[in-house]
Amino acid sequence: MNLLAISVNHHTAPVSLREEVHLSSDEIKNYIDELKEKYFSEGFIVSTCNRTELYGIPKESNASYLALEKFLIDKNPKNNLTDEHFQKFFSCSALNHLFKVAAGIDSMLIGDNQILGQVKESFQLAQEKQFAGFLVNRVFDSAIRVGKRAKTETTISDGAITVSYAAVQLVEKIFSNLSKKSALVIGMGETGKIAAQHLHDKHIGNLSITNRTIEKSEKIATELDAQILPFERFKEYLADFDIIISATSSPNLILTKEEIKTMMKKRGNAATVLMDIALPRDIDPEVRNIDNVFYNDIDSLNIIVEHNMKKRKDEIPKVQTIIMEELINFFGWYNSLEIAPTIKSLRDYYEEIRLAEVEGYKNKFTKEDQEKLELVTKRIINKLLHHPTTELRKVAGQGINTTESAAKIALVRDLFGIDNQNNFKA
Amino acid sequence: MKNAVDVSNILLPLFYFASFAIYLYDFQKGERRLSNVKRLFLFLTLFFHIFYLIARTVAFNHPPITNVFEIFTMLAFSVSFSYFILELVTDIRGTGLFIIVLSLIFQTISSLFIVDLLEVKEVLRSNLLGVHVLHALLGYAGITISAVYGFLYLMLYKELKLNKFGLIFERLPNLEILEKLSFYSAIIGFVLLSVAIGIGVIWLPRAFPKFSYFDPKLVATFLVWLMYGIGITTKITGKLQGKKVVVFSIVGFGLAIFSTLVTNFLAKSFHAFY
Repeated sequence: MNLLAISVNHHTAPVSLREEVHLSSDEIKNYIDELKEKYFSEGFIVSTCNRTELYGIPKESNASYLALEKFLIDKNPKNNLTDEHFQKFFSCSALNHLFKVAAGIDSMLIGDNQILGQVKESFQLAQEKQFAGFLVNRVFDSAIRVGKRAKTETTISDGAITVSYAAVQLVEKIFSNLSKKSALVIGMGETGKIAAQHLHDKHIGNLSITNRTIEKSEKIATELDAQILPFERFKEYLADFDIIISATSSPNLILTKEEIKTMMKKRGNAATVLMDIALPRDIDPEVRNIDNVFYNDIDSLNIIVEHNMKKRKDEIPKVQTIIMEELINFFGWYNSLEIAPTIKSLRDYYEEIRLAEVEGYKNKFTKEDQEKLELVTKRIINKLLHHPTTELRKVAGQGINTTESAAKIALVRDLFGIDNQNNFKA
Repeated sequence: MKNAVDVSNILLPLFYFASFAIYLYDFQKGERRLSNVKRLFLFLTLFFHIFYLIARTVAFNHPPITNVFEIFTMLAFSVSFSYFILELVTDIRGTGLFIIVLSLIFQTISSLFIVDLLEVKEVLRSNLLGVHVLHALLGYAGITISAVYGFLYLMLYKELKLNKFGLIFERLPNLEILEKLSFYSAIIGFVLLSVAIGIGVIWLPRAFPKFSYFDPKLVATFLVWLMYGIGITTKITGKLQGKKVVVFSIVGFGLAIFSTLVTNFLAKSFHAFY
């Protein structure tokens, strides 16, 4: 199968180069038009923050790796990409790479949840532009199946692997029903925003945010359906919150041990989670010694992240097994495409000979014997073809050993002088 | 039937051991495929245990409540049966090994030392006594499970406080759920114990006309009952929460065990039937 692929990704190029070839959906649509015209009969483009990849079935011999690299590089005259920033794949290795991407084991964060959706979007764009033909549709089905199987049959995507998400994972180890809890996020920088977003996604009952500059809070409050507390007065309401996440850029402590002690008294000593994801820390770490206060800073959250990353890496062999199974299935199907026409051609070839000989000699037989002649010659042909046909079908079932199967098919065609009537090239 | 009892007596600890082993393996590996297998095995163990209890009752013409080691097998059954129902209702499957291990211990002790009594005191043949004992055992099973969940709460609490994120962190349900499981088990235990005490109060004057309300067993049981009653009321009114609730539960369990040991083996009580 002549599936060609090139890739610029986080293994081969830094972000400054990757962003030069990153493509939006509209750009992908335009690129597809050009690829269809010049290089591929069918294909698709995957472009995310960590990779841009072209896949396709070449129309003619001008679809070389260098030509495709030049195609991408020329789109942005300012970029500094060279040949060494590209990975190249062909046939089985191209499919293997795509499956790894869909399963999330080629991502910067192993088990990335977003990549499967991004791969799906790429296929949808290709289908929209009628760039996805018979083969690419089958490739698409297999890739999506790999991604789904990896998620359901392994724990490759389980566990938090970012500090913000680890904070939420910890909160869920303390409280069972977040919809009945209240949370306060202090500081609306990038980290605070992400933490607030995670809490919102987990359907926190009541979300409040506070920031030194109120303008920054207003837009986020609207998006996340949160209340804004004035920064100068948020400490008056501390006792109302079960979860407090602090992510400011303050050089000093914002919450002292005494303030937390007072807060706990007002809360009747109910369990309280304090997440300090700021650097330098916002909350006095001594608060961890207060009963029913669960305090975590970036270091302890990173322990969770590292632990989960290791568990995900341990799942990679299981995902690779799934990928191998799907590769075998795919190439088993692909080989059968070539086998069926070959078997038919072989049978037609023999049938032609049989008919010609029977026609030439049938006048030497009585009418009754002509029927017997038909029967006997057909049986001879069937017996002669039984073993070759069985062997050819076995070859189809061998899966990814395309070289051997292609060789056997080619040999049969050569030996019997069969014209190759089908459109699939090995 | 006696042979069936003897064979079952040997096999039952092995069944509990196998159940415990499956739950332990699943706790360590966290494999989803074992989730239903382990529940099925526990069900089979309980089914076999019911057969054993019925077989003993038929073979010896009295329910297995006439000596300490018969009580142990009943307790083993009560604890695992209560947990099985709890697991079915809540679908929380990661805590079974901590409870089944108690059934394994109780049943092993029972199987090793149980005495087959054909002749028992007439007072022990009373149906009302049977109902009393059943409620008492289920009540103590509830208290036991409550204490186990209390221990698990404290274990997870400590891990979270020390920022340790090992198997306990991964496998156990969250603190709030553990607290709830401990509390609800305590309530169920308290209610059943109340029924047992009530039946005991009705039955006591008939069986022992010269009993005393200051009998050590009655006093100890009342104190345990009172302690759980106060704890539950304080929790419901919101004055007690989190760690304090589970500590209360564990202390109550400790008191229950201590009082049982003292009144059954040391003090002179009408309750020492054996």
